[in-house]
Amino acid sequence: MSTIDLASAKPPSEARAIPLLPNIGARSGVIVALLVLWELAARLGWINAFLFPAPSNIAATIWTQSGPDGNPPYAMPMHVLRSMIRLLAGIALAVVIGTVLGVLIGMTRWARTLFQPLISIFMPVPTLAWTPVLLLLTGIDDRTTIIVVFIAAVFEVIYTIVAGIEMMNVKLFWVARSMGASRLQIFLRVIIPAIFPYLITGMRLGTGYAWRALIAAEMLAASSLGLGFMIYDASEYMSTNVIYAGIILIAVLGYLLENVLIGRLEASTTEKWGIQSER
Amino acid sequence: MSADPAKVLPMNARSKPKIVAKGVQKNFGSVVAMEDVTLSIQEREFIAIIGPSGCGKSTFLYLIAGFEKPSGGELTLNGKAIRGPGPDRGVVFQEFVLFPWLTVLRNITLGLDIQGVKREEAEERALKWIRLTGLSGFENAYPSTLSGGMKQRVAIARALTYEPEVLLLDEPFGALDVQTKNYMIKDLQNLWQEANRTIVMITHSVTEAVHMADRVVVLSSRPSRVIADVRIDVPHPRDRRNPSMHRYEDEITAILSAEVDKAMSLERQIGLL
Ligand SMILES: Nc1ncnc2c1ncn2[C@@H]1O[C@H](COP(=O)(O)OP(=O)(O)O)[C@@H](O)[C@H]1O
Ligand SMILES: [Mg+2]
Repeated sequence: MSTIDLASAKPPSEARAIPLLPNIGARSGVIVALLVLWELAARLGWINAFLFPAPSNIAATIWTQSGPDGNPPYAMPMHVLRSMIRLLAGIALAVVIGTVLGVLIGMTRWARTLFQPLISIFMPVPTLAWTPVLLLLTGIDDRTTIIVVFIAAVFEVIYTIVAGIEMMNVKLFWVARSMGASRLQIFLRVIIPAIFPYLITGMRLGTGYAWRALIAAEMLAASSLGLGFMIYDASEYMSTNVIYAGIILIAVLGYLLENVLIGRLEASTTEKWGIQSER
Repeated sequence: MSADPAKVLPMNARSKPKIVAKGVQKNFGSVVAMEDVTLSIQEREFIAIIGPSGCGKSTFLYLIAGFEKPSGGELTLNGKAIRGPGPDRGVVFQEFVLFPWLTVLRNITLGLDIQGVKREEAEERALKWIRLTGLSGFENAYPSTLSGGMKQRVAIARALTYEPEVLLLDEPFGALDVQTKNYMIKDLQNLWQEANRTIVMITHSVTEAVHMADRVVVLSSRPSRVIADVRIDVPHPRDRRNPSMHRYEDEITAILSAEVDKAMSLERQIGLL
């Protein structure tokens, strides 16, 4: 039986290893080299071009499926958009609810007593295990996928927020209280900004989990749109080009979400304040 | 320097007790930090507290501020038991405790902002203290870019801007260079004389204490008690060359070093056991 002790949540710095390759130049160089090799191998018949279609073919598929000649027209952007809407809705829910729960657990005895056992029990459950239950509850519906995203992200948010509250300098509360701040003012103007580096870490980790869970959930529980649905549907028709297109889009979008979107948020907050946001 | 009667004011205008500690005790678990502190601080008095490090000076300040509760005894402000922190008491922490996500200006206006003062008025009042503390030009800087001395000045300006009745200062000049320190000391004295605040200042500098305060209270090493309470009967503004100031300095230094010696030899005895 695994019991997760919130009190011993590790500071987020330990949650992520150093990037394997040192810089963007080296990293993109490796990727380009691999693509060239793959292209050659597929064209020269070293590998099965049906199972491993050439990157240029995949790119062409992405291109046509993104335009009016797609099947249906503009299929790719519609899949991407639907997945993104589900993801962002689920993440937003997870951030709001996770932050409130995390602050309560970090600061009040009753919330800790109430939620800690629940979290310990449910955190290890793979998110997808909820999908059948959700399908029964809501049917094939965006609500199912949004709730899957929420569940996938919320534990990470709660976890890092609790760690953030524990690391908070109690004297920050003291200063605010000696200025006569109300509970709400303390929550909005002291606690939220003080735990922001942790919130960003929680969002970054949570978004990674949520993105993976979303794609899987869309395979099980989406009726017509979403990248997960697109891949699943393509496998029925054995369109390997589309499958690879989906995988590549998932990788690229995942990278953009974690690094560009959250990176932006980080640059405009914790980096500007000169507080280290832990990676 | 002659004693201008108007400037001697705070010492003579003393009226009623502002802060009264009766047998105040404070334990942290099994550690007795404060045994029996009994002390009465008058309204508009400037009192300096000095004592060996770790004796409970900061703790005493936090008790007055209402951040911590006494484990025993009575502690009152304006005759009422202190229940918690409030804007009638402004605190400058030894380690500054600035809000890293707010600029210098926003750190300083926060107190007024929380109390619902309009932004323009808050900024106007803040700018006065930004000027006096020599922070002009740094209004939009974030604390992480400031030196220790500048952070300390922000902390002082922040507490002064919302004009609390009682100022609680925990070694407020510790991180300042000598020159800035002398400026700040002068400004703080002027403030106190003009605005007639009650000031409780912790310091480890006997010179600073004798130069600024009406009374210097010496605490014993832990668990702390008041071992001396010396009234500095020299009119303001004070001149460092005044021989009676030197007598006060010598007297307090003697009490303090006797206390430190006692604590050290006690510690050594414990070490030998
Ligand atoms: N929150 C706390 N928990 C446990 N011990 C404390 C706490 N705060 C202070 N102490 C102890 O109380 C004593 C007095 O501390 P403090 O008031 O900071 O001393 P000073 O400011 O005079 O140097 C020290 O021995 C310190 O270790
Ligand atoms: Mg101290």
